Amino acid sequence: MGPAPAGGQLRGAVGEPEVMEPALEGTGKEGKKASSRKRTVTRSPAEGLLQPVKLSRAELYKEPTNEELNHLRETEILFHSSLLRLQVEELLKEVRLSEKKKDRIDAFLREINQRVMRVPSIPEVELTDQAWLPAGVRVPLHQVPYTVKGCFRFLPPAQVTVVGSYLLGTCIRPDINVDVALTMPREILQDKDGLNQRYFRKRALYLAHLAHHLAQDPLFGSVRFSYSSGCHLKPLLLLRPNGKDESLVTVRLHPCPPPDFFRPCRLLPTKNNVRSAWYRGQSSPGDGSPEPPTPHYNTWVLQDIALESHLKLLSAMLGSAPGLKDGVALLKVWLRQRELDKGLGGFTGFHVSMLVAFLVSTRKIHTTMSGYQVLRSVLQFLATTDLTVNGISLCLSSDPSLPALADFHQAFPVVFLDSLGRLNLCADVTASTYHQVQHEARLSMALLDSKADDGFQLLLMTPKPMIRAFDHVLHLRPLSRLQAACHRLKLWPELQDNGGDYVSAALGPLTTLLEQGLGARLHLLAHSRPPVPEWDISQDPPKHKDSGTLSLGFLLRPEGLTSVLELGPEADQPKAADFRHFWGSRSELRRFQDGAIREAVVWEAASMSQKRLIPHQVVTHLLALHADIPETCVHYVGGLVDVLIQGLKETSSTGEEALAVAVRCYDDLSRLLWGLEGLPLTVSAVQGAHPVLRYTEVFPPTPVRPACSFHEHLRERASLLPRLDKPCPAYVEPMTVVCHLEGSGQWPQDAEAVRRVRAAFQLRLAELLMQQHGLQCRATATHTDILKDGFVFRICVAYQREPQILREMRSPEGMISLRDTPASLRLERDTRQLPLLTSALHGLQQQHPAFSGVARLAKRWVRAQLLGEGFTDESLDLVAAALFLHPEPFTPPSSPQVGFLRFLFLVSTFDWKNNPLIVNLNNELTAEEQVEIRSGFLAARTQLPVMVIVTPQDRKNSVWTQDGPSAQILQQLVVLAAKALPILEKQLMDPQGPGDIRMVFRPPLDMYDVLIHLSPRHIPRHRQAVDSPPASFCRGLLSEPGPSSLMPVLGYDPPQLYLAQLREAFGDLALFFYDQHGGEVIGVLWKPTVFQPQPFKASSAKGHMVVSQGGKLVMVPNVEAILEDFAVLGEGLVRAVEARSERWTV
Amino acid sequence: MVARRRKRAARDPEEGIPSPPGYSAIPIKFSEKQQASHYLYVRAHSVREGTKSTWPQKRTLFVLNVPPYCTEESLSRLLSPCGPVQSVELQEKPDLAESPKEPKSKFFHPKPVPGFQVAYVVFQKPGGVSAALTLKGPLLVSTESHPVKSGIHKWISDYADSVPDPEALRTEVDTFMEAYDKKIAEEEAKAKEEEGVPDEEGWVKVTRRGRRPVLPRTEAASLRVLERERRKRARKELLNFYAWQHRESKMEHLAQLRKKFEEDKQRIELMRAQRKFRPY
Repeated sequence: MGPAPAGGQLRGAVGEPEVMEPALEGTGKEGKKASSRKRTVTRSPAEGLLQPVKLSRAELYKEPTNEELNHLRETEILFHSSLLRLQVEELLKEVRLSEKKKDRIDAFLREINQRVMRVPSIPEVELTDQAWLPAGVRVPLHQVPYTVKGCFRFLPPAQVTVVGSYLLGTCIRPDINVDVALTMPREILQDKDGLNQRYFRKRALYLAHLAHHLAQDPLFGSVRFSYSSGCHLKPLLLLRPNGKDESLVTVRLHPCPPPDFFRPCRLLPTKNNVRSAWYRGQSSPGDGSPEPPTPHYNTWVLQDIALESHLKLLSAMLGSAPGLKDGVALLKVWLRQRELDKGLGGFTGFHVSMLVAFLVSTRKIHTTMSGYQVLRSVLQFLATTDLTVNGISLCLSSDPSLPALADFHQAFPVVFLDSLGRLNLCADVTASTYHQVQHEARLSMALLDSKADDGFQLLLMTPKPMIRAFDHVLHLRPLSRLQAACHRLKLWPELQDNGGDYVSAALGPLTTLLEQGLGARLHLLAHSRPPVPEWDISQDPPKHKDSGTLSLGFLLRPEGLTSVLELGPEADQPKAADFRHFWGSRSELRRFQDGAIREAVVWEAASMSQKRLIPHQVVTHLLALHADIPETCVHYVGGLVDVLIQGLKETSSTGEEALAVAVRCYDDLSRLLWGLEGLPLTVSAVQGAHPVLRYTEVFPPTPVRPACSFHEHLRERASLLPRLDKPCPAYVEPMTVVCHLEGSGQWPQDAEAVRRVRAAFQLRLAELLMQQHGLQCRATATHTDILKDGFVFRICVAYQREPQILREMRSPEGMISLRDTPASLRLERDTRQLPLLTSALHGLQQQHPAFSGVARLAKRWVRAQLLGEGFTDESLDLVAAALFLHPEPFTPPSSPQVGFLRFLFLVSTFDWKNNPLIVNLNNELTAEEQVEIRSGFLAARTQLPVMVIVTPQDRKNSVWTQDGPSAQILQQLVVLAAKALPILEKQLMDPQGPGDIRMVFRPPLDMYDVLIHLSPRHIPRHRQAVDSPPASFCRGLLSEPGPSSLMPVLGYDPPQLYLAQLREAFGDLALFFYDQHGGEVIGVLWKPTVFQPQPFKASSAKGHMVVSQGGKLVMVPNVEAILEDFAVLGEGLVRAVEARSERWTV
Repeated sequence: MVARRRKRAARDPEEGIPSPPGYSAIPIKFSEKQQASHYLYVRAHSVREGTKSTWPQKRTLFVLNVPPYCTEESLSRLLSPCGPVQSVELQEKPDLAESPKEPKSKFFHPKPVPGFQVAYVVFQKPGGVSAALTLKGPLLVSTESHPVKSGIHKWISDYADSVPDPEALRTEVDTFMEAYDKKIAEEEAKAKEEEGVPDEEGWVKVTRRGRRPVLPRTEAASLRVLERERRKRARKELLNFYAWQHRESKMEHLAQLRKKFEEDKQRIELMRAQRKFRPY
């Protein structure tokens, strides 16, 4: 989806005088005017809002032309839908190189060709004698060990050929790379150059000389070294044009040996070409042990040989088929969005091109297929074929001298042979990388099959950076620790093969180790690939330990996370020894209930949040045990944001347990209600309707035990009252429970009477609960508060038909019709929709244990940004639920951290103006219904709220966003989310530690005109603040249950009462922002229009005063008096009123 | 801000407080401590000929812009120097009719949070109105002798008031229901009496409660009947039977595709405008 279209959607941040509604009306009229003309279409997007399409009858039903019929048919056959076809075409247009640029690149290439040919030659010198190298250039290779026998001389290349995707026309923007192969003349090379890196040394020197001469040429903007596909033995030279074209293209020069120079049979994966004696620096041949094979080394040499043959193969296969080229381009975009093609051992565009060629040769893809079909076929193939077990080969010949696939499987994790049958194209790809590719392909296939409307966006336009895709991320630093790990894991042959690159050598064994250790907890393990460095020619190549950091991403299985036990084999089994060896001291013998005595590992974790972090324990233990990597080198990013939803005193739990306790208490209460005797009507349903009962309350309630001495008493009503001379008592919010009574003919048919009857029931309920169960109750006309085990519930009696009664209207003819009224809608929402939503989300929590954490973090963040009051609780819960129900292109989050990041991403990129957010609770909406909802949304856009959330229970109205947010508030949220996301992601991906994780939770205060500072004494939830105060006031709670069973002070929150007064009195003039979780500041923003002087009107004199301006009497807000009113209304609560801007100059 | 305050202070004494035509302005403050004041805009209550108003002409003072902390009692106290006050009524917006006499139940209609209000002050004598019009002020809402609660004080006392008395609630409900039952019983008796009795033109009213109940006269019921009719008709129709029908349904399909295509084109256009096609 790309970055939020800044300003494109919902323009007008808070404070800008742009309002959404007029804009909507404007476009509507325009659309109607032009409806008879086809060009309606092109006009509306300027406003950024979709219009329902209106085509005239004549246009809809005119005779089709042949061409049109063909086009429609083709769309149906070759693409999924016409929208997808258009989208794909647009995307390809965007990533393709334009002809103009191609011409410029071609000219640049011709220039390069000439200059390269003109580089002067040098006479022959010993390889180790590098004194001839000029001062400004260093050899782009780690020459370890330094001594190599042999001679080097420079001669201009025998041939300069352009290879790779540029010629095929499949290279895509933004990084345009042109690969140029320089064939070194035969005179430079000598026999046995393939041995002991001699060929690579010569190659590097060749480049160094070339670089020195080209760097002096003004044609090039920059001349730098880099590695060919990250392999540190194979440097290459990067050339970029000078001037404004610098970012246009990067030309990469690859030196390669003359054809037929190396004998391929010497380079089979079983052969050794790096002698141990040489590598270890011993003068004499070693102890006579067999030399280990060097498959990777051999492959790197082979790659240089095969450059041209691959180009020939690809141009033969793809050359004449535009559909295939489109497909390759799409696949490259797909890989790029998933960061799979980056770094050493990435699954690159070259691999997919070869894969397409393979599928063409096996007739799974036909040359007439469209780009979309190619994409689909390749994804299908990847999803179903495991190249780590069953390798594939492009080689068709059955030459017996060729090595068998099995040989390759022994040497490489992933096998895909080229057309000659000797080179493994996926030699550097690790098993984890390939599994990640497979995982992505599977997800994408599921997405394509689901016929989702925005499949294209999710598939090709949504980036999936590691931190947002994986539940937990682990950084290993410093990388030099891996050198020790290699020795510990006895990886000397691999080191020899990799030419000393200990990161690559250790990666495979490490991932295998962790995969085995995490077992059922793990869904997928992925590792970051070291980025390909680029350095100036006057510098030494970067060391291995400087090649960034190694990050591992874990995708966890929620069901595996609940267990704290690692069950091993029975003690007398031979496998028990292996188990003990694997787990080391953590493994212990345990006797289980069924009598079995087994080896087992038990992790310490009491709460849900600790259980989620068991992988951390596993990983640190295993790395220390097997790879000698101490805990200090492991930086685990999994629960860093958890602190923000942890309770006041506890640090071990993120509140899921406390919520469960409250829910259990509610279950008990509902049983009591069901079994209540003596109610005139029976209870037909008891439903929770409070965030606690759907696990989304940011701070779960704790049982209250009020101290009597702290409160005033109201004895006759068994209630406590706040006291003037004490700080504000603890905030207790009653949990709403809706109690439906059965329908009966006895209910009156008049709204007022129904209210009275309900009130009578409330009284009766309180009486009966008090008598039969001894619960402290307090009844009012609309609800009954009940104190049970320290929790307070608010039971609202409801009558099913009451909304119906409120809706009834009698027309003059006596016909009774049903019309929605505000009262009926409110009642319907509170007694029917809210309980339904609560139970649906409660169910979601049972399916996805991370839901609670994500929803609460999200809400916490919105409230911390002082925007909480613009959004209903339910709307934010639904947005969080959408992350679980519609996770595409990700999987449902299993940790609060990743869920929160995706929440920020969703909020910042979702196009609220043109799309409803469909939250398909319980999967009740079919695909057809969703299409219907979308078209209905477009038709009714102007009447709908700014933010539309659709659920199966609420398909049209978006009840939870009816009263807000306004366009400005939503825009503000979008802006803040877009800012917070990169900051937080950067913090989490920083291997040095995240720094201050609360940074993105602190609101910007500089935008407000007035700040009202509140005194913490009267903020009951002061301790919940983002930066929790070190000390706060006593809130009159006992740690032990006290003797008193008086009703505690309920819902008494002075800041909220104050805000209600402010909004009522000055809501026309200003907006008020506050964080209900312990905020000490109320931000006030004047509405931009109120300072324009207005003529006197009796109805709008509120808070204004009359002044004479230019001889005319006009009304302006009486700001100075209002500022003093702020202090008067909040007497005792307000500490200071700080006016910060002079915007109200009248 | 300081500068501006000084400017205003300088302006006030000479030219008096500006007020809209017909009104006079009275400064009002919460207490001594405040420096800036709000202004009450007052005028004698008068209505055009022919408009009905329950407020007594000439004796009623119409007050605009009453600050939220100013209660009916304090307004009455502040204006009593002009003459004895008979009643004060605060309202959200100007309303010509007096509110119903019987007080609303405090259980079922909780008091709303006050904002800026308008007031109708009825004096016992017409002289009070003219005296009030010349009032200089500034009026002080809260004085030492008559403190008005605000802030924490007010919220605590509001909270105490909100704890209901179940007995009072019960009595109120019972009285209401008794009256309601009586009313319903009367209506039913009346309906029963009229049952089957023709009116003066000879029409007989048929109700649901009669011996043979009829369909209720609701919109839903009539829609249901229409729907049933429509379905009955649709069942008899032949589909894709004649060649023209076939042709038409094909054309319909094509039209659908075209419409979809146009919609898609529009969406693409919009996405292009939003740069939704740059995968980087």
